[in-house]
Amino acid sequence: MSSTGDITTPRPRKQIDGWRWTGRIFLVIMLLYTALPMAWMILTSIKSGFAAMQFPPQWWPTEPTMASYQKLLDPQNSVGQDFLRFFWNSLFVSFVTTILAVVVAVPAAYAFSRFNFPGRKFLFFSVLLRNMFPAVIFLVPLFILMRWLGLVNTHGSLILTYLTFGLPLAIWLLKGFYDNIPIQLEQAARIDGATRFQAFLLIVTPLSVPGIIATAIYSFIGAWNEYIYAATFLTKNEQLTLPVGIQRFFSENTTDFPGLMAASFIMSVPVVVLFLLLQKYFVRALTEGAVKH
Amino acid sequence: MTIATGHAAALQRADIKRPNVFQQMWASRADYLYVLPAIVVMLVVIAYPIYYTVELSFFKTPPGLQLRDKVFVGTENYSTILSSDVFWKVTVNTFIWTIASTLIAFVLGFGAALALHRDFVGRAILRAILIIPWVISAVAASYIWKWIYHSDFGVLGAVMVQLGLADRQPNFIDNVHTVLPSLIVVNIWREFPFAMIMLMAGLQTVPDQLLRAAKVDGASAWQRFWHVTFPHLRGVSTVTILLLAVANFNSFIIPWITTGGGPSNASHIWITHIYELAFGRQRWGVAAAYSVLLFAILMVLGYFYVKALSGNDKQEHGA
Amino acid sequence: MAQVVLKDLVKTYGSVYAAKDVSLTVNDGEFVALVGPSGCGKTTTLNLVAGLIPITSGDIIIGDRVVNDLDPKDRDIAMVFQNYALYPQKTVFQNLAFPLQMRKLPKDEIDRKVREAAKVLDITHLLERKPRELSGGQQQRVALGRALVRDPAVFLMDEPLSNLDAKLRVQMRSEIKRFHQDLNATIIYVTHDQLEAVTMADKMAVMNGGLLQQYDTPAQVFANPVNMFVASFVGSPAMSLVPLEVSSTNGITSLTSAEGWHLPLSAENARKVANARSKKVVLGARHSTIRLHKEKLGDAVPAKVYTVEPTGDITFVQAFLSGAIVNISLPPSVIVEPDEMVWLEFDQDRIHLFDGETEMALRAE
Ligand SMILES: Nc1ncnc2c1ncn2[C@@H]1O[C@H](COP(=O)(O)OP(=O)(O)OP(=O)(O)O)[C@@H](O)[C@H]1O
Ligand SMILES: [Mg+2]
Repeated sequence: MSSTGDITTPRPRKQIDGWRWTGRIFLVIMLLYTALPMAWMILTSIKSGFAAMQFPPQWWPTEPTMASYQKLLDPQNSVGQDFLRFFWNSLFVSFVTTILAVVVAVPAAYAFSRFNFPGRKFLFFSVLLRNMFPAVIFLVPLFILMRWLGLVNTHGSLILTYLTFGLPLAIWLLKGFYDNIPIQLEQAARIDGATRFQAFLLIVTPLSVPGIIATAIYSFIGAWNEYIYAATFLTKNEQLTLPVGIQRFFSENTTDFPGLMAASFIMSVPVVVLFLLLQKYFVRALTEGAVKH
Repeated sequence: MTIATGHAAALQRADIKRPNVFQQMWASRADYLYVLPAIVVMLVVIAYPIYYTVELSFFKTPPGLQLRDKVFVGTENYSTILSSDVFWKVTVNTFIWTIASTLIAFVLGFGAALALHRDFVGRAILRAILIIPWVISAVAASYIWKWIYHSDFGVLGAVMVQLGLADRQPNFIDNVHTVLPSLIVVNIWREFPFAMIMLMAGLQTVPDQLLRAAKVDGASAWQRFWHVTFPHLRGVSTVTILLLAVANFNSFIIPWITTGGGPSNASHIWITHIYELAFGRQRWGVAAAYSVLLFAILMVLGYFYVKALSGNDKQEHGA
Repeated sequence: MAQVVLKDLVKTYGSVYAAKDVSLTVNDGEFVALVGPSGCGKTTTLNLVAGLIPITSGDIIIGDRVVNDLDPKDRDIAMVFQNYALYPQKTVFQNLAFPLQMRKLPKDEIDRKVREAAKVLDITHLLERKPRELSGGQQQRVALGRALVRDPAVFLMDEPLSNLDAKLRVQMRSEIKRFHQDLNATIIYVTHDQLEAVTMADKMAVMNGGLLQQYDTPAQVFANPVNMFVASFVGSPAMSLVPLEVSSTNGITSLTSAEGWHLPLSAENARKVANARSKKVVLGARHSTIRLHKEKLGDAVPAKVYTVEPTGDITFVQAFLSGAIVNISLPPSVIVEPDEMVWLEFDQDRIHLFDGETEMALRAE
C-alpha cells in the first residue's frame, strides 16, 4: 500500500517493501497494457500496407514511411480532402458544443447550487437522469424530431444532441464546485455594491475557472469522440465528423491498416494534447467538486 | 426596556402561512432563468423522445419510418421480444459485459490510483500515459484492438505463437467463446483510467491527519488502508462504480465497430441489438419496445445513480 | 451615519422562525451588540438588515428610508463577515478597491482612499498580497478595511473576532472600539461571546430562539435580567439558578428546598414572590454575591462542594445546593475540599427571583 507517505514504524521493512514492489509491478503491467496497443498503432501507421500484412509481423518497421500520413493530410488528393474536411467538421462541432455547454451549464449549476426554487430537486434529478439513457434509444425519436426541425444533415442536429449528453455531468461537476465556494463571498460583493449578477460574474466565476475548464474539456472530448448520432443524422459525405468518416472510409478499404492506424492516431492527437495540457484542472475540479462529501 | 414575551422554545413550529407553490414559483421566477436553457434543451431532447419511444412500441411502422402508415398492434412487439431466444442470449451477454467491465475497470483503476498516490520520479508522465486510453475515441480504440486481434496479422496472436502459447494464430473475435472476453478487455482498456482519475481525486481528500493518527496508534499499512483510506473513499467508489455501470450498460461503439455483434450474436449486447433491429432490419416497433424495457431496467439503476450523485447536494439557502 | 430601526421583523425558514417579531432601535452613532447562543438568529437578523435575505414581514428603516425592498448595494451599509469573505483571487489592494470600483469612483480617488484605509489599519505593507498569504489577524484587518473605505451609514459585523486567538481578540476588540469612537459610527455587532458584548457595546440585544429577550445597556442587562435565559447567559461564570418552593409560616415568607431547609425572604423579596403564578420560584445569584461559611451561620443554607478551581487570585467553587449547581468565588486563602459540607449565605438585596413557570423575573410592584 502506497498511499501513506514514507514510513518509519518499527515494523519490519521487508513487508513495507512488499507493498511497494507490488505497486511497482502492478504499475508496470498497467503501463504495458495501456501503452503497447498505442505503440502498435503508431508502429503500424508508419509501415507500408505490404509490411503491415506479414506473418510473423515486423516488430519494428524495416522501412518506416510517412506515406499514410501524407495521403491523409494532403489536400491535393481526394482522400486527403475528405479527411481534412472530416477533421474540420469535428473541430467545428466540438468547439461550438463546448462553448454552448459552458454557457448553458454555468448558470444552471450555479442556480442548482445557490437558489431554492420550487422543483429544484426534481429538475436536478431529471438533469442527472439524462445520463442514464443510452444514445441508441433516443436515436429514432430524435431522428424524427430532427427531420421535423429540418436539422437532418446539418451540424446543428449534432450540436443540439451533444449538448444534452454533456450537460448533466457538466452541471453536476460545476455544481459541486459552486457548493464549495462560500456564499459569504457573494454576500460581501453585494454589500460592496455589486448586483447579484455582478457578484456571480466578478467574484464567483473567476473562482470557478478550473471547474469551467474541466467542463469544457469534458464536453469537447465527448463531442469529438461521438459516433452514433453522427452516423445516424448525417448522410452527406462532406458533413461527416471524423469517427463516422473514418468508419465509412475504411469499411470500403478494409485492408489499409496503416492508413486506418494513421487516421486513428491523427484523430486522437487533439483530444489527448488538450487533455494532457489541462488535466490538472480536471483532477482539481473532481477533487473540489464532485468527490468531496 | 424591551421585554420579549412568551417562551422561546414554543416558537419553533408555530402557525406560519406558507405561500402556495405558485406564489413561491413566482417569487423565485428570476432563479428559473438560470436553469431555463438547460431545461429547454433537456425537454426537447429527452421528454419528447421518451414519449415517442413508448408510442412507437405499440405500433408496427413500415421500414422507411413513414409514421403515417403505422399500425397499432398492442403488445405484440413485447411478446415478440420475450419469446425470442436472441433476447435471452443478448441479456446474458449484457450482464456479463456490464458486470465484468465495471468491476475489473474499477479494481484496476483503484490499484493504479493507490500505486500512483505516492510521489516518485516519472509519476506525472506515467499518470498521463495511463489516462490516454480514456481520452481517445472509442472508434479509434476499436480499430486499434481490431487490428491487434486480427485473425491473420494480429500482433497479439503472433506474440502468443512466438512464445509458444499457441501453435497457430488464435482467432479472438471470430470465435463465439472468446469474442466477449476479448471485447471486455478493450472496454476495460478504455475505462479503467476513469476510475483511476476519480479515485486519485478521492485519495487527495483523505485527511493526512487521520493517517498519521492511525500510524501513531500502531496501525500497519494494510490496517491504515482498510480502516482509514478505504472508508473515506466509499462515496467516490459508489459514484464511480455507478457511472461505470451505467456507461457499460449503455456501451455501443466497441462491440459495434469491432464485431457488429457477431459471430452469431455472441457479442451483441442490448444496445447494439436495438440498433441493429432499428437501423439494420428497420423493425422500429420491436426496437422501441426493447427501448421501453431498457428504460424499466435503467430506472432501477437510476434510483441508485441519482441518489449517489445528489449525495453531496448540500445547499445554503438565500444568496 | 444613521439610525437603524427594526419593526416586528420576522424571518421564517419553512415552518421554523429564525427571527420572530424583533423590534429595536439603534441610535445614530451607537454600538449595539447582538448576542445569543448558536442558532438563535443573530446572523439571520444581521442579514435581514443587510438585505442579503428577504424578510418575511416587518420593516427595516435605515436613516429615514424604509429599505425593505432595497438591494444590499443600495442600503448604504458595510459588513464584516465571520470568516472575512475576502475575495481569494484578488490582492489586498483589489479587495479594498472593489467596493469603490462598484461605485464607479475615479481611479485616483480609489487609490487614495484605499491607501488611506490601509494606513489607518496598518496594512500598507500587505497591499500586494493575496488573502491566503495573510495571517488571521491580518485578514481580519483587511476585512475591516473593506468596510472602512466607503464610510457607509451603518457597519454590520458578524462575529468578526471569533476566528482569532484569545490574545489577538483582546487587541482587536480595543481597536474596533477605538474605530467606533473615532468615526462615531453606527455599528451592529454580532457575537456569541457575551464578554465581548459587555466590554464593547453601548447597548446589547440578547436573543434566544429567534426572539429578542432584552435590549438595554450591558450594565442594566447584567443587573436586571428580564428572564432566566438572560440571567444565565450574561456574566461569567453563569448566574446560579436554584429551583425552590415558596412557603409561608407565621407571616414569614421563605423559600423551601426539597432537602428540608428554609431561606426566609426580606419584605421586598416576599412581595416579589407573591407575584409568582405558582409556588415554584427560581432563586438566582451571581457568584460574587454568595458567601461561603464553614459552619452554620444565620440564614445560611447547606451545600456540598463539587469542584474547586483555583485560578490564582480567585478560586471558583461549584457546589450542590438543593440539586442545582451553584457557582461561588472565594479568595484563595479559603481552602475547601471536594465533598466538604459548607454553608451558603445569600445577599437578600442582590438575589434574583424568577417565576418557575414563565421563567420571567419577578418584580415587587
Ligand atoms: N438557509 C436556511 N435555511 C433553513 N434554516 C436556516 C437557514 N439559515 C439559518 N437557518 C436557521 O435559522 C436559525 C438561526 O440561524 P442563524 O444563522 O441566524 O444563527 P446564529 O445566531 O447566527 O448562530 P451562530 O452563532 O451559530 O452563527 C437556526 O436555527 C438555523 O438553523
Ligand atoms: Mg451566525
